[in-house]
Amino acid sequence: MTETILKVSDLKKSYGDLHVLAGIDFELNKGEVVCVIGPSGSGKSTLLRCLNMLELPDAGRIELHGNEIYGGGKPKDLDVLRREVGMVFQQFNLFPHMSAKGNVTIAQDKVRNRKKKDCDARSIELLSEVGLADKIDEYPDRMSGGQQQRVAIARALAMDPEVMLFDEVTSALDPELVKGVLDVMRNLAESGMTMACVTHEMGFAREVGDRVIFMDGGVVVEQGDPDQVLGNPQEKRTKEFLGLVLSH
Amino acid sequence: MEQFFNTYFDFGIMGDYFGDVLNGFWWTIRLSVFGGVLALIWGLILSVLRQLPGRLLSPIRILAIAYIDALRGIPMLLTLLLIAGGLGTLASQDAIPKEIGIPNWLGYPDPFWYGVMALTLTYGAYMAEVYRAGIEAVPRGQMEAARSLGMSHGQAMRYVIVPQAVRKVIPPLLNDFIALMKDTSLVSVLGFVEVVQVGQDVYSETFNPSALTLGAIMFLVFTIPLARLTDWLIKRQESKFERGIP
Ligand SMILES: Nc1ncnc2c1ncn2[C@@H]1O[C@H](COP(=O)(O)OP(=O)(O)OP(=O)(O)O)[C@@H](O)[C@H]1O
Ligand SMILES: [Mg+2]
Repeated sequence: MTETILKVSDLKKSYGDLHVLAGIDFELNKGEVVCVIGPSGSGKSTLLRCLNMLELPDAGRIELHGNEIYGGGKPKDLDVLRREVGMVFQQFNLFPHMSAKGNVTIAQDKVRNRKKKDCDARSIELLSEVGLADKIDEYPDRMSGGQQQRVAIARALAMDPEVMLFDEVTSALDPELVKGVLDVMRNLAESGMTMACVTHEMGFAREVGDRVIFMDGGVVVEQGDPDQVLGNPQEKRTKEFLGLVLSH
Repeated sequence: MEQFFNTYFDFGIMGDYFGDVLNGFWWTIRLSVFGGVLALIWGLILSVLRQLPGRLLSPIRILAIAYIDALRGIPMLLTLLLIAGGLGTLASQDAIPKEIGIPNWLGYPDPFWYGVMALTLTYGAYMAEVYRAGIEAVPRGQMEAARSLGMSHGQAMRYVIVPQAVRKVIPPLLNDFIALMKDTSLVSVLGFVEVVQVGQDVYSETFNPSALTLGAIMFLVFTIPLARLTDWLIKRQESKFERGIP
């Protein structure tokens, strides 16, 4: 029996005349890794940002564990949502005035109200897991992009979220640093984390993804098994997009 | 050349009136400190008011913006004369209590307090803009990252945005403070014997501006190190902090 964690129905969002999300339906089941692909401007980031209400949708419905958290008006239980849904950004967005440990600790302390000792232990554990045991007291401006991004992943995981959202987290990295971050994500997927990843890494999508969603023009054009969508797409727009991406 | 030197640097006059000039400058310092601290606080209040969220509070927001624009657009001399003239007149007509209209707090005379009020009202408006710029200079992603971790708007401001903004606002606030310190000299138009007025009084006695020169030197003793400190802070920030912020 699959347990649905996030359920999105007919989600809409416009900026002026631009219909960025024109009615999105999708579900995220427990332990599933969904990779979202699509051309630039197709609304992938907007979709992720709506999922944790960094952006307020115009219409539609979002359920977390069957509880409606958005139903067209004001979002409900925003605190619960943000605690259960972790997010990692393309630009890392680490807090530059805090060390790696400080970054991972601050929300545990202020949002989860954990004891100082427990926060520290958890931060050190997580930073070790992402391969940064030796960078615990380092500040972001003295770390490589790949290291910063791994701190950002640890920071989100420290809230013990049920779902992790990744928005092109390797796009701002030098090629040789991409693998380290993808490895962390792969381990996370293997540990059973529920994940939605916007990505241009087709290899990652095929290998780690349980499902691939192709978005274009604010709608889901095609979705399914990664081998199927990436290897044998049915829709014309998917074929065109993959033709462009894979010819690089 | 010698004539020039004797006119501006008459050491005899400087020596004779040194104590008086220093007394005047002590008032200048007190005006600066009271005005500076109050402007710092008033500016913070204004910047919070102008950033209040939501439609309901928009009248307050608009008022705050109008106030800031107005006070930055009026010469401080005018603000000072409006305060002194207005409060004095109202108090003498018993429209407002004398303790407020003709203040004598801490035993300091009323022109002192009119000066402090004008400095606070004017420089509060300038400093409000500095605070705002400092907060806006923190990249948007910082707020988003904080909120995505479950922090409230207030927590995000307190632990993430403001600590970064503070570093950015200290140099421009110091610059405003230097300007404020110089503008304390305007209070001399109320006949208040801060350093410029002392210099003028000595001039009318001796027909020599050397006491004014002495006053200028006393200003420089404070303003030049402050300006250097500001530059140094800006340099240090550019080399250290900015690098790490994506
Ligand atoms: N705050 C905003 N205001 C106005 N337009 C916006 C805003 N945010 C996004 N858009 C527009 O919405 C469209 C979709 O943006 P979005 O970032 O979701 O695309 P994307 O699929 O993530 O693209 P990319 O692959 O380049 O990241 C774009 O045309 C973008 O310009
Ligand atoms: Mg994007």
